[in-house]
Amino acid sequence: MIKTDVYEQVLFETVKRGATEISPDVRDAFEKAIAKETNPDAKNGLAATLNSMDMSKKRENPLCVDTGWPIFYFKVGNNCELEGGFVELENAARRAVARATEKGYLRATMKHPLTGFDPGNNIGMNIPDFTYQFVDGDGIEISYAAKGGGSECFGGTRHRIVAFADGIKGIEKFVIDSFVASARAGAVCPPSVLGIGIGGTANVAANLAKEAACLREVGSHHPDPMFAKIEEDLYKALNSLGIGILGSGGDTSVLAVNVEYAYTHIAGIACATSTNCMIARRASARINADGTVTKMRSPMWFGDR
Amino acid sequence: MAEYHLKAPLTEEDVCKLKLGDIVYISGEAFTCRSRLQKYIFDEGNTLPFSTADRNVLIHNGPIVVKEDGKWRLVSFMPTSSIRFEKWGAKSVDEWNLRMIVGKTTMGDETAKMMKEKKCVHVSPRSVSPNLWIDSIEVQDVYLYDELGRIEAAWFFKLNDIGPFIVDIDTEGNNYFDALDVEIAKRRETSMEELGIEHDFEFTKLY
Ligand code: SF4
Repeated sequence: MIKTDVYEQVLFETVKRGATEISPDVRDAFEKAIAKETNPDAKNGLAATLNSMDMSKKRENPLCVDTGWPIFYFKVGNNCELEGGFVELENAARRAVARATEKGYLRATMKHPLTGFDPGNNIGMNIPDFTYQFVDGDGIEISYAAKGGGSECFGGTRHRIVAFADGIKGIEKFVIDSFVASARAGAVCPPSVLGIGIGGTANVAANLAKEAACLREVGSHHPDPMFAKIEEDLYKALNSLGIGILGSGGDTSVLAVNVEYAYTHIAGIACATSTNCMIARRASARINADGTVTKMRSPMWFGDR
Repeated sequence: MAEYHLKAPLTEEDVCKLKLGDIVYISGEAFTCRSRLQKYIFDEGNTLPFSTADRNVLIHNGPIVVKEDGKWRLVSFMPTSSIRFEKWGAKSVDEWNLRMIVGKTTMGDETAKMMKEKKCVHVSPRSVSPNLWIDSIEVQDVYLYDELGRIEAAWFFKLNDIGPFIVDIDTEGNNYFDALDVEIAKRRETSMEELGIEHDFEFTKLY
């Protein structure tokens, strides 16, 4: 049985780490982007961003002033036992978000959609958001992702049903058109981690896209060559556009293109995009059944990626 | 492209010399706003409780500021996207006599038109680097804190050479991103071709 104080502390530390520390894979992607950037202003911009992110870790302050939507992903072992059960896990996650807000790791960003009421702690109806996945075992893996407002609000997250008649070409055209429009003037804070969901109902595609954007390790590839090819083709295509950091010109427009899929109806292919901003915040930890905790380099939400 | 280190309050001359793509660093007095403040003033008929005569640099931003030992401390700062404030952009430039708006992205046509008329520019950051800025910003004061809350309030900042920002709307109302859009559109054509997507590809209409 995993004790409440153990998972509550892990939840808090994961939120804090997600908000204040760049993930190692994102850091690697930045270094590569800086090395190959030929536009001097873009190179400076990427280097300044990386420099600031490295300082955040030391100063324990947010990587960006927009601390995003708080989102939790739980990969739960089938035999995992939590003190207080899963209702208490969610309560503890809410407490962790409130505490992180109070400590200044998160800005009070969540507000009522109609009245604008600001609870001051990022807690409200259906927020934070929780997603579960069940696997063999008796531990639990906790991931926290913070989806930035820029990345979510300016058309980086979209959905379209593509006809089977249009197939891969239709999917790729939809993705390129969406990305170009959303990255104009840097609205989605490129270079982006672009997630694409193909198949399922609209919400399944949208969730896959979000998980591909927020959870997939940057630099990983889909194991199915058909989907890996879409990732590679779009990565090349989007990086040849010259959008660059914050949309003001440069060689790197996406840090990664990650595709995930589900089977779909014979009537059409739901296709969704979700764009994560350049800082691609997340953090993960695993709690074993005996209460021991290990930090994880990345969420490994999709098996080994 | 030229680089300028400007001192606010800005004069007409300061901003008229700026060309699209120029890099600027700013010192001096500025204030922040988000949409809630513009709505409060322009839609809800309230008056701005301070003068912008000597504070004509507006930063679209919702900073993280905490109070420590009776003093404000800036924890994080990053200009936010200006485009969402387009509804009030022209009015802000006009009624607040702004010379510069600092924000991510850019503003739309109506604001650009007013910027041309009143001689004001929009500048945007080229990085997400709060830590390179916060040490160079002194929090002086805050207005409308109780009415609008910590993030949407009007914060008074004293800037010490913060930047680099790129000039994306000049005092002629031209937009840096318009020219870039044309280049991106050209490259997009080539990319589509390489992916085998025909020039005249049309989606099968499902709805
Ligand atoms: S979308 Fe942009 S402003 Fe928002 S968290 Fe990401 S980098 Fe920061």
